[in-house]
Amino acid sequence: MKFDIDVLENSIKNLRRAGMRTVLTLIGVIIGIAAIVSLLSVGQGLNVAVETQFQSLGSNTIFVIPGASAGGFSRVTLTDNDITQLESIRGVSDVVPIYGAAAILEYDGQKINVQVSSADAKKSSIFDSTGFFDVQEGRTFSKNDSQAVLIGDKIASDYFDKQIIPRKIVTINGEKFTVIGILKPQAQSFGGGPNTGTSVFMSLDAFNRIAQNVAPSIIFVKTTSGDDVSYAVDEIKSYLDKKYGEKSVMVSSADDLLDQVNAILGVITLVIVGIGGISLVVGGIGIMNSMITAVLERTREIGLMKALGASNQRVLILFVLEAGFIGMIGGIIGVILGYGLSLLISYLGASSGFALNSVINFEITIGALLFALVIGIVSGLLPAIRAANLDPVVALRYE
Amino acid sequence: MTRTTKNDDIIRLEKVSKIYGMGDIQIKALDNVDLAICRGEYVSIMGPSGSGKTTLLDAITTMMKPTSGKIFIEGVETTKMSNAELASFRGNKIGFIFQTFNLMPKLTALENVIEPMWINGVPRAEREPRARKLLEEVGLGDRMNNRPNQLSGGQKQRVAIARALAMNPNVIVADEPTGNLDSKSGVKVMEILKDLHEKEKRTIIVVTHDESVGKQAQRRIAIRDGQIVISKGEGKKVSQLK
Repeated sequence: MKFDIDVLENSIKNLRRAGMRTVLTLIGVIIGIAAIVSLLSVGQGLNVAVETQFQSLGSNTIFVIPGASAGGFSRVTLTDNDITQLESIRGVSDVVPIYGAAAILEYDGQKINVQVSSADAKKSSIFDSTGFFDVQEGRTFSKNDSQAVLIGDKIASDYFDKQIIPRKIVTINGEKFTVIGILKPQAQSFGGGPNTGTSVFMSLDAFNRIAQNVAPSIIFVKTTSGDDVSYAVDEIKSYLDKKYGEKSVMVSSADDLLDQVNAILGVITLVIVGIGGISLVVGGIGIMNSMITAVLERTREIGLMKALGASNQRVLILFVLEAGFIGMIGGIIGVILGYGLSLLISYLGASSGFALNSVINFEITIGALLFALVIGIVSGLLPAIRAANLDPVVALRYE
Repeated sequence: MTRTTKNDDIIRLEKVSKIYGMGDIQIKALDNVDLAICRGEYVSIMGPSGSGKTTLLDAITTMMKPTSGKIFIEGVETTKMSNAELASFRGNKIGFIFQTFNLMPKLTALENVIEPMWINGVPRAEREPRARKLLEEVGLGDRMNNRPNQLSGGQKQRVAIARALAMNPNVIVADEPTGNLDSKSGVKVMEILKDLHEKEKRTIIVVTHDESVGKQAQRRIAIRDGQIVISKGEGKKVSQLK
């Protein structure tokens, strides 16, 4: 194959000389690639965020959520006896229920609805590494905090006219509490869910006073090791199914939940990337159209080149390279733009509470660049073959 | 130029025919043509419209493969060559001058002259100096960076001549070189062709329907209905083959 630097150089020169047409064709590719890259990057970022959340809990954690599979309110009330039963399962090291109830929080004459949560202080050490109770202001719980609450950042700054800062007093269901700390935004999303900023945490004793019908909204079960997880999950499931009926309580290991979430994210990402891919195919058609027009316009030029000594092969390579370059350059710009876009999206997401870091990784970059290059070459092939097979005698006399 | 031997031939056609169309409707553009052109000859080919002179030109310049017959250029049988071989051969051995100039519109005069050089693999460092020299020789040393649309017809044709000389071919083929030129430029161009013949001893082939152009050649060939009718030199006998 007569592939040399001259053909390379001239294909680039030709693209430059075509000016506007090259630019317009490029735009098609750039948009397609940018869309795919930004969406993949954000999608990967979501995956990573979710995984990090789950990992902070540890992989030997099992989530027991009453009513979650029924998809509605928890009609099932798990009892202390249930907790004890779960604790007795082989391999289980901790069973930590989180109790939750709706309540009314009053401050400065205004009232809002909040979700109050509480856990047994003795058991809540499993959350130490998770950051769930990290505060951005004030402090977290210590020994004698029976009248203390931690409140979410949105409660502190958005929902009332007056800002709530540590040491202020709020009233919850009629009882006075001192705010000791404001929770960090990320701290309040269990397992990757959006932060509503409306969480309130208090000690179990306090909780029992202000809330009626105290029932666990979620139970974290920790096992001694990863190997114990699947046995424990089966045992918990069979116990709860027998007692409360099948599917009334959701029991999932962290891995299972992660898989489910990833599967959903995967589908969403695929759909959106598919749309981006379609736009890229359209961009490729744009390249083909542009090249066909170029061959038509340059028919005499092609005839001349052949008269001057260019073989059919040389002409073919020249045009394929032109199309390939459009793909590659469009790909490079598209990748840069795409990443820029994903950074923008993650910045916007962060400011509304999503801990979203877009991922810049090798596979996405190389994949996108290769894809763009291939689209360029494939789209340019047909017009290039046409150019190569032009009869020079006819081409030279083309009007 | 009396008897031509095979060794002196720079271009030789043996029983060359070109037939277009199939079945009942066939057009014989060239009909069993025998032709030999010697090294260093200045030949003009004339004929009316439809005579086959353009087809003959295409055959000589290897742009078209004949339906039957053999063509030799510098002793090499071009009718046996592959497309790639032909392209390279053509690029090195034949220089083209067209009636409509056929310069690349987006390139400067200099770039136009360099075009055949990159196509045919002239070393990079040689290209620009060689192109400059050629343009100066045709009197366009001050116009090197102009594009075709900034040049007159006569200037364009001179750029084309410089381009035709880029690979230093032994054969220059001109198809109606003065067809699109005013008489003054036309004279200039024909003078350059004369110089190429007399001073540089190149073989010149001019196809034309213009008598005043055709008669400047050393040997005149007339073609009609795909056959060579007359082939005569300046007061010498008709040249024959073998």
